[in-house]
Amino acid sequence: MFWEQLDGSLLPLVRTPGATLQVTIYEFLIAFVVLGGLAIIPQSLFYLGFILRNLWRNKIRTALTGFATIVLVLVVTLVWTVLVFLANVTSEKANNLKAIVTERWQIPSQMPYSYAARLTEGAPREPGDVRIDPANDAMTWAFFGGTLDPQNRTRENSLFFFVMEPDRFLTMMDGIDEMSPTDVERIRAAIAVMEKDVTQVMVGHDKLVAMGKKVGESMKISGLNYQGIDMECTICCELPEGRYGQAAVMPRERLNRALDEYERKNRKAHPLAAKCLNLVWLRVPDTKAFQQVERQITTSAEFKSPAVKIETASSGVAGFLDAYKDMLWGLQWILVPFILATMSLIIAMAISISVRERRKEIAVLKVLGFRPGQILILVLGEALMVGGICGIIGSAGTIAYFNLYLGGFKFPIAFFPAFLIPNEALWWGPAIGLGTALIGSLTPSLSACNIRVSEVFSRIS
Amino acid sequence: MHPTFIMLAFTALLLVVVAVVVPRLGWIGKLLARYNARNIMVRWPITLMLLAAFTLQVGIVVVMLSFVRGLQNLTAGSSVPGNVLVLSEGSTDELFSNLGYRDVSDVERHPLVMRDSDDPDGKPLASWEVYVVVNQPLPLPIIHGRRLGCRFGEESLKLTLVEAGGPLARAGVKPGDSLSSWAGIPLNSLEDIRLLMAGKQAGVIDIGYVRNGAQLSGSLNLDNLINLERSRRFLQVRGIDDPARSLKVHNLKLVTGELFCQAGVRAYGEGDQRRTAVEAVLGEGIARTLGSDINKTSLEPGDMFSLGDSAQPFIVAGVMGSSGSTFDSEIWSKHSLVGRKFGKDSYSTIVLRAAGPIEAEELAKDLTNNFKKAALKAQTETEYYSSLNQTNQQFLYAILFVAVVVGIGGVLGLMNTMFAAISQRIKDIGVLRILGYSGPQVMLAFLFEALLLAVLGGLLGCAAGAIGDGCTANSIISSGAGGGKSVVLRMTVDTPILLAGMATALTMGLLGGLLPAINATFIRPLEALR
Repeated sequence: MFWEQLDGSLLPLVRTPGATLQVTIYEFLIAFVVLGGLAIIPQSLFYLGFILRNLWRNKIRTALTGFATIVLVLVVTLVWTVLVFLANVTSEKANNLKAIVTERWQIPSQMPYSYAARLTEGAPREPGDVRIDPANDAMTWAFFGGTLDPQNRTRENSLFFFVMEPDRFLTMMDGIDEMSPTDVERIRAAIAVMEKDVTQVMVGHDKLVAMGKKVGESMKISGLNYQGIDMECTICCELPEGRYGQAAVMPRERLNRALDEYERKNRKAHPLAAKCLNLVWLRVPDTKAFQQVERQITTSAEFKSPAVKIETASSGVAGFLDAYKDMLWGLQWILVPFILATMSLIIAMAISISVRERRKEIAVLKVLGFRPGQILILVLGEALMVGGICGIIGSAGTIAYFNLYLGGFKFPIAFFPAFLIPNEALWWGPAIGLGTALIGSLTPSLSACNIRVSEVFSRIS
Repeated sequence: MHPTFIMLAFTALLLVVVAVVVPRLGWIGKLLARYNARNIMVRWPITLMLLAAFTLQVGIVVVMLSFVRGLQNLTAGSSVPGNVLVLSEGSTDELFSNLGYRDVSDVERHPLVMRDSDDPDGKPLASWEVYVVVNQPLPLPIIHGRRLGCRFGEESLKLTLVEAGGPLARAGVKPGDSLSSWAGIPLNSLEDIRLLMAGKQAGVIDIGYVRNGAQLSGSLNLDNLINLERSRRFLQVRGIDDPARSLKVHNLKLVTGELFCQAGVRAYGEGDQRRTAVEAVLGEGIARTLGSDINKTSLEPGDMFSLGDSAQPFIVAGVMGSSGSTFDSEIWSKHSLVGRKFGKDSYSTIVLRAAGPIEAEELAKDLTNNFKKAALKAQTETEYYSSLNQTNQQFLYAILFVAVVVGIGGVLGLMNTMFAAISQRIKDIGVLRILGYSGPQVMLAFLFEALLLAVLGGLLGCAAGAIGDGCTANSIISSGAGGGKSVVLRMTVDTPILLAGMATALTMGLLGGLLPAINATFIRPLEALR
């Protein structure tokens, strides 16, 4: 059933125009089903017709209010996208959780590569210790910053490589489920190429555009943090827009060989040769296993100089986001409420004006036998209709524009370059629209109910 | 005076001006201006709603801009125009720079580097520094944004402090006890508690603890835990050799206490308990932050704190007046001690003082191009800190985007109101035209009405946004190429920001009022009166 697709698992789908359209149509269908359901209530079609006619009567006002709702839904959707994403990555998981091993005290973490072999196993020492499968559940990271033009380094010609085991890209990295099946297959093929030829690298779409490079082209990268190490690389794959749009991936073996070559040429090891392991990722089945691995690593004498620490990925990310804490608080508790209040006020103004203009009409309706409750439904219905429909358009439009056209909402926070608008956003729009419409139109609706017939007609006379 | 009061006073003054002066002036004439002003009063509920919407929108813009201005002030306040910052070539930040002493020892002997006039030997005004960021767990166990109301010993589950009346105290736990189990699950470390909290965050659980070797248990109500949000913080530590000269190079002064001594350590305790602590000079901001851990406004000379492992504590020697600069969030200590402790024995930065900005530029260029012993990246401090403005630029673009989109909402709201105002007053417009007012005059009159609303809303919005002036917030500044500095900034609402707020309001007023006002000019007098 289509509503089974409308949960969080739909994320890869909404990255295609057809899927966005499909889900938007679903939403409208649901809206019509709801409206159709109302038809079984006596007189509801009459109300519906009345509401639609009233909205149609002042097209400019309806259009202006609707457009205002759409643009404000857009802002709220973008802000909530960032907040929800960060809340997800920093919330603890009970099962299948990822752990990060880093240098205990210093930022950036710089550990010797000799740590990698034991850390990727979880450093088991005794029978009964948890042993991690290093081939499937572990990944090492080093960071290699480089530039195409060391004499004239710019943001555009510089790039940042994740130096890692290529096959772990699809099994250990986050955000793979946001990619389309085509992208995943393309990356799988590229990984096979990288495993045979370590000079092959993958580069993000946005970075390729900035550098003016294409898949298949070669480039010479001069190391920025690894001074004195220059590498010839061939681009074998383009990583899709979004989370990896600005990133690049290089095989671990490539950096290891470059460091060996540096030592051979200069007859001394590179200054970072003993510090070329920045992170180790481990996947553990549950919190109990994590606790055990944590004990194994932190009590091991093998990792004392420098000392290491292990924490869950969510805890590590939360630490890095700490510097943005106040800004995120401001977005959540100042910007969003202010915008929602503004939306309510805009709708309140439109409905107030509408009620004021139709005082005579409402008085006539009352004379014809309409009860205050029925008038309340008519006025509230107008606001809810505009809020709901424009909310759907606002959220669907935001997804379509940002996910399909712009490749995500590019608001760089910490190490997240862009945010894809999640599926839930399709419901945020109508919810925001209906909520603010209800709040905004409540007072004018009540004032419409309380219009006194005698007062209106005495004025006319 | 606080900008809010200034804006409110200005608003009141403007109201007087509008009420008294404007109707007597201008092309639209006294009668028409008074007519528009009165109409605003007549439909006061709509006017109030519109003003509220404008106030909210302009307020948001002012608050967001004050945040960016705070960041800009911070980067501007951290640089000394005559200073040159030397990093290793290719380093995008102090964090990634490595300068070997032997390679760059003669950098400070460059003829353009000023000499310390207070030093009998006339030593160069140069500050040799190592900069590290320490990932420090908080002394209080913060678990899922909640606080147990206790303090654990370093790296253990033994409690050194239990807050009276706190959640653990209510469970019967006392200082000196060791937590042994959580909801029936044995504990190995603090991380275990944090993870177990992921499964259960509310309700009552059994906890086990050991007191004098005896295993005891109690009930802990998780609903009583106190909200907090962080489990660790990144502390910025600068190791320096000569604190007096470094302060002089950075134009900083001690506000209390003294500089650390040549050895960089100080003895504390008595008898068998006598130990040594590493001396540190703290920025005012970080002194306040660390002070809050021990329920003090700020750390003072003689107070101890942990940095890194607990083997050797740190003791505050002095606090420097660093407000408004990035040094506000830094801990300064002896280079040889912190460098070794945190695995960076080399230097990351040398800061040299030249006679002025021009000499500084010349010195930076000469060191970058002509220094042969090592590849260096020398730049003036002004240049370095302006590169850290990259984050500010990103925030500024985001703010402009939000301001434009939110502004569109305001424009549409105003347009709605003005269209309604015109449709309600078609007959009035007909009368005005018959009285001799031209179409453009009527158009200007309605535009005046829209702008009046925008000005009032803008002033109120500026006043509301100005409440944020002086508030402090944590943020980060970086060049966008890795690294960066965590900073405590002071939000600043200044004249350009207030003007930007007013410009936003006026733009909204103009765009929102123009179309309905033009529409009013097309109304034919006789048709309008039918």
